[in-house]
Amino acid sequence: MKKNMKYALILLSICAISAAALAYTNSITAPVIEVQEEENRLAALKAVSAGLEIGTQEDISGHKTVTFVIDLTEGGQVGGYILGLKGAGYGGEMTLVASYKPNGEILRVQLLTHSETPGLGKKAENEGYMTKYEGSGSATAVPTNKTMLSTSDASAVSGSTVTFAAIGKALEEGSHYVQALGGK
Amino acid sequence: MNIKELTKGIFKENPVFVIVLGLCPVLGVSSQVSNAIGMSAGVLFVLLFSNIIISALRNFIPDSIHIPAYIVVIASLVTITEMLMHAFAPAVYAALGVYLPLIVVNCIILGRAEAFASKNTVIDSALDAIGMSIGFALSLTLIALIREVLGAGTITLFPMGSFNGVIEVPWLVDNPFRVMTLAPGALLLMGFLKAFFDWNTMRKAG
Repeated sequence: MKKNMKYALILLSICAISAAALAYTNSITAPVIEVQEEENRLAALKAVSAGLEIGTQEDISGHKTVTFVIDLTEGGQVGGYILGLKGAGYGGEMTLVASYKPNGEILRVQLLTHSETPGLGKKAENEGYMTKYEGSGSATAVPTNKTMLSTSDASAVSGSTVTFAAIGKALEEGSHYVQALGGK
Repeated sequence: MNIKELTKGIFKENPVFVIVLGLCPVLGVSSQVSNAIGMSAGVLFVLLFSNIIISALRNFIPDSIHIPAYIVVIASLVTITEMLMHAFAPAVYAALGVYLPLIVVNCIILGRAEAFASKNTVIDSALDAIGMSIGFALSLTLIALIREVLGAGTITLFPMGSFNGVIEVPWLVDNPFRVMTLAPGALLLMGFLKAFFDWNTMRKAG
């Protein structure tokens, strides 16, 4: 009994010291992380805003793809929307932000987080990759398969079939979501 | 202080190719050189401090509870590393993903705590940790370098000033052997390198 108590006290003291060290580190890093995440978010929103004014964010729960929506205004009129989207890539969940015209046409797309394979799906980070989707969603369908692209565009995304389809599907869902909003 | 404790981890007792420890992160994060360097830094930090703390506490922690005690120390150090990387090296943090918290169960850390730090002085344990970390870093970076050059035709380092962090290898960047970036490529390469190290060890032993 006495021995067990001693063991428990030793473990308790190790745990207490560890917890204190963790709390101290957290107090230093948490504010830095918060600032950084906000900066990343704002930079991504600015990059997809296409020069329009960014409104306030409204979180969406219960939708399988859309996570938030932000109005884009131009002279007080709704000029489009920014959507937060999630999709399932080859390496797991991917998150992206995309801006749309009120008719569902894709303006700009930016990849936020992903865990795709270097040399394959990671190509989605390359400049020009996302332009393959831009302009689609209203008059033309969002490309969700490489066969929907021209030969030169398809070769630029070769090796990342799963990633390309995953981003395409998320963007297509986003386009439908925006069309359902009807410019409200 | 025994300097051999420092050098043994690099070749003679290389944790990856000779003792064959910590293969999960070796295969998992070695698709890009920058990830390998980030992972090595994480392992160095955790292993150095866990060896020092465990060695300092070796007479205080009774044998029957040494595993839970070690795990608490190691898990705390890993969480500290994770928080520091998230705040100050967010790109590496994002790239390492789940492999960073998995350092807790990396056999190198617990293995060295159990086999070395719990029986030796603080200084020798620190030297052992540095040597093992260098051995791990060299192995991991070597595998990542070969995999990335052959599989993607690039060498990804860290962006500095006008340098964007990516070196492109001519020809290979347009004609990569894609299998090398995937899991089978990692296993094949690991097999060849292990065979080379075994051959080298046998040759030296005569």
